[in-house]
Amino acid sequence: MAEYGDILHRLPQSKSVDAVRWLSSVSAFDRFVASAVHDPDAAVPAAASAIEIHSLILAPSADSSSREHPCFHLRSSWPSSSRISALRSSPTPYKHLAVAASTLSGSLHVLFVDPVDGSIESELSIPNDRSLHAGVVSAIDLLEGGRECVTVGEDGRVNLASIGESRMDYRRVYDSRGLASYTAVRWASPVEFATGGLGFGVQWWDPRKPGGFVSQFTSNWAQGKTTGIVHSIDIHPSRKHICMVGGSAGTVFAWDLRYPQQPILLSGAGGPELLSDIDEVWQVQYDSHTLSSSVNSATSAKLLPVMMCSEEGILAVLEQGEEPKRLLQEYCAINSFDIDPQNPSDVVCALEWEAVGILMRPKAGNYASSFGRLPPSFH
Amino acid sequence: MPGRLSDPGADTIVPISLESRQPVVLSLRHGVSAPVFRVYISWSRGSLLHVACLRPPSLEPDGAGDDEEEGGKVVEVRLGTGDGGISEAQMRRIAYGSVPPFVELQSWKNSLASLSMMSSSSFRTEKWQYILEYSRKVNELLKTHQIPPDNVIEDPRIIVKLLKETSSLRAAWELMEIFFIDKQSLSWLPERLVDWLEEYDSLVTRTDLTVYSKLVAMQKKLVDFKVIEDNPDYWEAVSSALAVGWLDTVAKLLRLHGSYQLDQLDDRETENGLVEAVAVLILTMPRLCPDLSSEKIGQCYDTKPDFIKAWEKWRGQVSKLERSAYWVQCSHHQTREGLQKLLKILLGNISNLTSATCHWMELLISHLLYTRPFIMGLEGLNNLAQKCQQLKPTAEYNGLMSLLMGILQESPEAVLAECSRTYGPWMVAHGTELLAAGSDYADIQLHEERYNLGSISIEELHWLVYAQVLSSHPLTWQIASTYLAQCPKQGLGLLEFLLYKQPLQHHQGIFKNLDLSRSYDLDNISASIMKIAGMHHWKHGRKGFGIYWLQLARDEVRLNRIAQQLFEFIGRSLSDDSFQQWEGLIELLGTRVGSSGGLEFLHKYRDLKRLLKQVEDGRAVNAARLAAESLVQLMKSPSTPQQFWLPLLYDSVSLLNWKAQPLLRVSETNLLLNKLQDLSMAKMCPGFVDSNLPSHALSSVRLALAKNLGRAILEEC
Repeated sequence: MAEYGDILHRLPQSKSVDAVRWLSSVSAFDRFVASAVHDPDAAVPAAASAIEIHSLILAPSADSSSREHPCFHLRSSWPSSSRISALRSSPTPYKHLAVAASTLSGSLHVLFVDPVDGSIESELSIPNDRSLHAGVVSAIDLLEGGRECVTVGEDGRVNLASIGESRMDYRRVYDSRGLASYTAVRWASPVEFATGGLGFGVQWWDPRKPGGFVSQFTSNWAQGKTTGIVHSIDIHPSRKHICMVGGSAGTVFAWDLRYPQQPILLSGAGGPELLSDIDEVWQVQYDSHTLSSSVNSATSAKLLPVMMCSEEGILAVLEQGEEPKRLLQEYCAINSFDIDPQNPSDVVCALEWEAVGILMRPKAGNYASSFGRLPPSFH
Repeated sequence: MPGRLSDPGADTIVPISLESRQPVVLSLRHGVSAPVFRVYISWSRGSLLHVACLRPPSLEPDGAGDDEEEGGKVVEVRLGTGDGGISEAQMRRIAYGSVPPFVELQSWKNSLASLSMMSSSSFRTEKWQYILEYSRKVNELLKTHQIPPDNVIEDPRIIVKLLKETSSLRAAWELMEIFFIDKQSLSWLPERLVDWLEEYDSLVTRTDLTVYSKLVAMQKKLVDFKVIEDNPDYWEAVSSALAVGWLDTVAKLLRLHGSYQLDQLDDRETENGLVEAVAVLILTMPRLCPDLSSEKIGQCYDTKPDFIKAWEKWRGQVSKLERSAYWVQCSHHQTREGLQKLLKILLGNISNLTSATCHWMELLISHLLYTRPFIMGLEGLNNLAQKCQQLKPTAEYNGLMSLLMGILQESPEAVLAECSRTYGPWMVAHGTELLAAGSDYADIQLHEERYNLGSISIEELHWLVYAQVLSSHPLTWQIASTYLAQCPKQGLGLLEFLLYKQPLQHHQGIFKNLDLSRSYDLDNISASIMKIAGMHHWKHGRKGFGIYWLQLARDEVRLNRIAQQLFEFIGRSLSDDSFQQWEGLIELLGTRVGSSGGLEFLHKYRDLKRLLKQVEDGRAVNAARLAAESLVQLMKSPSTPQQFWLPLLYDSVSLLNWKAQPLLRVSETNLLLNKLQDLSMAKMCPGFVDSNLPSHALSSVRLALAKNLGRAILEEC
């Protein structure tokens, strides 16, 4: 069910789709999507999980309606020894697209994808020998440019992997030895990042400073009304002091480093009620397509519009002080989504029922793309 | 699932076929060298079987493993899925897609039940609308996606479309829809059956000849024919297509006739005229169909009287042409014969209909078209079908045809049995809605509680069975909950069981599970899930995660137990530098959601440490005062473990020796001294945990306390 004239196309995959990302391509006609898939019926366990690179093609519709409908063409596939837990992508200076993926068994992989034909040219790995993470890597984030990747895990470790052309090394930033677990991570600048974890805790890190995190957002801000786990963080490059956080109990809030005691609630915990309080917000991402009514300069104090997806099948855009705009209400969970950085009107999402959804929002009359994500070096 | 039917005798509801099938022998390559000591067989999920082959335990106690022999192996055996050409992935897609229509229909039914307006007439019409909508949605789902044709220009020689993948499941669903849901428009039944056969003729038999297979064979040969009308196969094909009412195929075939060629050599005027006359009659055949705008060949009528009038008139025209004198003048023998045969079919000549059709279903359709166009009611149809079966007997068992017979015989039991036998649990679970809508008798049969099924209804039984199938696959188990929730008797119990046994290693899985158990108000299940998750994380060294889940589950007992372990761990590592490591965990304990059991102490301890640090930095008296208060509180609190008493006091020596004024009052100091006394008593007890503090710690604390006491007494005087 799509509203606001948006159209959702479902592309059945016949296997579980755990994560999806757009890959920026060089040609205007070919657009690539990377998806992390899992097929529990695979004949051998080693073939059960994979990263697939698809090109998205707009084909004329089979029935009489004049609309085009997107379809996937599999360009390449890379088998993973374990189920993928997180997927990120970025263009690199070496003309490749980097796709970074972590697994449930604790390994980290970086694939270099040819931006012209979508083939996988080479691969770098840190194996799952419990050195990087003991167990699940819960989240990773790839620095714009693909030089560095930060990984966090349930084991409480925080690692930085530096990615070269032919080798990948990592160093431990912190190890809480399981006393704390981290479940989300996002770069804020080339040298700082934010992590999220249990009890809605958010931590700010600067690896140049010794010891642990630089500051922490206290987790009992909800005055005992609710608690939960942070599932996703997004930081806009023009507002790097604000962490947009999505987590359990249908909660989306912004944590401003300048006012660390006062989170701004967008959903849940007694804030605006879009989601039920048993919903899980799996992902948040700033939506550069939705033009905020009052945000017209980067200095405005208002939060930028943010898109979120949830376990109860909601894809919506939240804006401070406005009615939430529900884009999708599916019967199944939406596990992950990604807004195309080059065409912000298009959203790809991973649906629980073994399908990828492509949501195409009307482009007309929208000039928000100029407000899109710029490389951090720009600011 | 309720226990199996006790006695496969007269009172079984679903006939179980007891015909013995040949057992399938599979050879396993397990690679374990003989002798195999034991074999264990167990079901894994779905149709996966685990076979464990074990060798006898080695005789030598130290193993003496030089022969590199394995002790045994577990082999996975995947048993074939033999259903009508639908892959598992496709079936899963259907399973996902049928959830929304199912949920919509059930929630509408439930809302009705609460309004209790079951008898009113508006309910009846509304019910039809809802069930029809449900059926249409499911039907849409069963459509296999057709690839658009490659060539836009139509080839006149393509007379039949080759069906790549026609799902038998959809054919069966449509049959049920025609008979059970579209019952309102029973007068259009013959036309709907004609359409149905046109689409699914290839499915009525797997082994025997059909009109469809005849036409396909004919199309292949078409290129080789020079003069098409000379060929008896051509005329056979035309009459077969006509007999089952595929008028556009007939029109296409007739257009290939030589009389439509522009370069004719002989004088064929009469022949041409006759071909045209027959073609016109065929194209103007009256048909009864609801949708006049449809692109059907023939004259469409939407009311019965109009149709009967037109039909009589048309019949008159056909018999007039048949008796015409022009036939004698037609010189082309094959054309004359062929055309006359077509007219006989149009007039409903039984022997011609019988010879033109192959399968009894086709014969039945031809009768509906040409001999009994005004047939009403299932009874007549059933008699007709049985006659057709006698004329064209078939040895082969076909699920689709058996389903049709069951429907015609108005036997819900047979329909249910065929659905289950040929199409499996999905079809039964969803088709019961159509069946129940078909007749009141079926409705009662399906919803009656039955003692021999453990007091559940047949409908519930099949939902339970289907839910079992869904829950055996790791990707579909969550939608099983939708069906279980609809089962009034045993659904929730099974749902609890299903949620309880899901793997909980990864937090996505835990959340999915919790989400389901909360949405069905199974609070005890969600608490158990959180406890299991908590213990799993704790055991795997993820202490923070473990405590988080146990806190949410409000599991005081376990929290207190792990608190002891945690304190021992802290006792060793909690120096001031490593405090940051604990920060995250302690923050968690400070939340007021859930309980933290004995762990609450840690939070207060951290606060005291912070204050003491400020005191050391030589900051205000306020901090010192607060620290002293918090020290007394900690020492008073029963949740403070004994092993921390001395370290707490030792850490606070600077407070006790505070220069400016005594920070503790007399009564407070006495309390601390008492605690110290208790501690030295406890030292005698077994199980006392000694803190690893320097040996002079005790004496320096005692001295400081004594000094403080002295100063406090002076102060208070």
